[in-house]
Amino acid sequence: MALNSSRSVLSSTCKALQQYSRSSQPLQQSLSRRLLPSAAPIRHFTSSPTCRSDKVPPTPTIFTEDEINAAKNGEQPPAELPEQQPAEPPAERPRWTYTPEKMKGPGFSINIVKDPRRTIWKNNEDPVVVDTMYKRLLGPGGDKMLPDEIKWMAITHKSFDQGRRGFNTRLAYFGRQILALESTREIMVSPAAQGELITDRYNREPFDHPAMANVDKLAFRQPRDLIHKDRVAKLALEVGMMRVVRWKPRLPENLEGSGLTVVLNTAIFAIVGAISLQHGAEVAQRVVREKILKKLGP
Amino acid sequence: MKRLRPASSRWTGWLLVARPGALRSAQQQPVSLTLRRQQSTSTATAPASYNTQLDGTDHDRFPPLEPLPPSATSLPSPLPERALRSAKLAALHARLSLPKKLPLQTLARTLVDASADENPKFNNANLAFVGQTLINYHIAEWIMVRYPRLPMAIIWAAMLAYTGPAPLHQVARSWGIESAAVPGGEVDPGLLQYSLEKPGTAIRGFGYKREELDFIDKYKFRQSINSGVIFDDDYGNLIRENAQRQRQEEQDAMDANYDESIEPDHMSYGNEATRSLAENAHANFTRAVVGAIYAHCGRDAVKAFIKSHIMSRTLDFSKLFEFKNPTRELNMLCEREDFDPPIARMLSETGRLSRTPVYVVGIFSGNDKLGEAVGPSLDMARLKAAMNSLKSWYLYSPGGNARLPSDMLAPEARPWQPAYIDIGEVVAR
Repeated sequence: MALNSSRSVLSSTCKALQQYSRSSQPLQQSLSRRLLPSAAPIRHFTSSPTCRSDKVPPTPTIFTEDEINAAKNGEQPPAELPEQQPAEPPAERPRWTYTPEKMKGPGFSINIVKDPRRTIWKNNEDPVVVDTMYKRLLGPGGDKMLPDEIKWMAITHKSFDQGRRGFNTRLAYFGRQILALESTREIMVSPAAQGELITDRYNREPFDHPAMANVDKLAFRQPRDLIHKDRVAKLALEVGMMRVVRWKPRLPENLEGSGLTVVLNTAIFAIVGAISLQHGAEVAQRVVREKILKKLGP
Repeated sequence: MKRLRPASSRWTGWLLVARPGALRSAQQQPVSLTLRRQQSTSTATAPASYNTQLDGTDHDRFPPLEPLPPSATSLPSPLPERALRSAKLAALHARLSLPKKLPLQTLARTLVDASADENPKFNNANLAFVGQTLINYHIAEWIMVRYPRLPMAIIWAAMLAYTGPAPLHQVARSWGIESAAVPGGEVDPGLLQYSLEKPGTAIRGFGYKREELDFIDKYKFRQSINSGVIFDDDYGNLIRENAQRQRQEEQDAMDANYDESIEPDHMSYGNEATRSLAENAHANFTRAVVGAIYAHCGRDAVKAFIKSHIMSRTLDFSKLFEFKNPTRELNMLCEREDFDPPIARMLSETGRLSRTPVYVVGIFSGNDKLGEAVGPSLDMARLKAAMNSLKSWYLYSPGGNARLPSDMLAPEARPWQPAYIDIGEVVAR
């Protein structure tokens, strides 16, 4: 603690006091007055724990016995001090709901836009709508497959909020690999269609083996056509993804020209990737085969 | 004799055409041929239908090592049954410790590139496609779990370094693959067969040709990284469907302009195009072997094969990074994660007034050191320290032995612990 600067000592001590005695406002203020000569309001510098993962709880602040005693034995509470009460402790706010305060700019932009109407785009903020979409895509209980943060991150495009609240690009890349493998396998295990023959110019007989026959099916059906981006986008629209994805189209009057297909595909791939990382490949396989490939059709 | 690689199609044809007198002399002296056939009987008996007189090769210049099927030279690739009699193939099978379920005929098929034989039932195009899908999936899942915070562009670079044509070409070379000078039905089935003249159909993975591709080429537009995940291939490169046709047209134009009367005073044994074709042929062979193992032996065998041959390669991920404004990016990272703002402090220095000063600078957020670096000037040291701090963030790893999602496909796997999913890299301006 000796190496800590006075400001971090102040914030950590105040937080500790807040945890232990919410009602004892005078103690907090008296301590602040002792450590900080001026009557400036308390400002928390690190207002949230360093590690933000849903799984790891926020680390408790460390304080010494002396500090509590010093606070308790402090001077008389002052007459008046401005009340400092944030609407909600920032540590409990989920990360997908807000832009990090320090990343916000001055509040205005000097950029001259061609058409100011294009800067306006409203995204969904209601968790119920997101849960409904997940239930329609993944079946009942689909909204509980992913933790809250990941659920929102998987449907957030990089264009949303300048990428400050996270985006689904990496998950989408992994999801694409999963879908590529599953669609290839789907073609290989599907029964061979009748009438699919390749005649050899030299009248040779190929090596006959059921495993090779499976591989030869790929000559007639391409996995790329099975999970074509237009089909995946159509599936996404059917489950109501368009109202749920968080993005910023370049031309709100022309969503297709702004890349709606890409955004919908990215969201579906990202959900698949997130399920694989959250539950393992077996669950992801089942989800892809039953919920996506089956719905896409042959 | 079969190892030389002649330059253009003219030379190729010249070397392989039998001497005009050869066939005539063979026909005039049938007795000596019959004697030769009796003398050169191999232990493996050829089918009775094989008539060595009509296999198309010149028996005086190149005595056959084994009996060849009739008009073998007219076939684009060796017949599948010849795979059982090839010593090279059996040796390759044993060298790679391939499972017994994988027959030699399939291994022979993996060695035939699409440029050698256009019939998809005889070449390795579909096998290579399956193998590429498998390799890319397993390496992608490994990278995702091992470095969960890696930026997308770095993931592309890492995938290229593990699964691209160059590393797979090296893997094939390390397996001791030799290639035939020109493909044909008479070559040994254990040689890699590909043609430099006919490029053949490339293995097209996933991705789509962008409609604005012509505009991108003309005006050098920048495509977003995110759209590359959907449109581009697994390495972030644009998909160009006409590349094959373009190359063929260029080759035809070159051949049309070739003047036979002018003898070339130098023979270019290879150029960038031929090298890339050879590289792709070797890489497709590697992918085809993986695909063959999957088709015959299943998912567990192929995962073990990929792990031992491709995942075992070493790549220094920290060398893949390149930053434009590392201090600004680090500042934005600290703002996003709500850390104390980063401050560069000198840890030690020496030789400030000399010709070669050394400064050790560390970047601190509060009392935590994010990264440090050594530099010859104050600015350089600060920039390098910022880069090291960013790398230490992006290269966070739960360990090299982190469980992969595909481990859950094994029977009786332990319950899965969710892997760490990061929100994404800092969008640096």
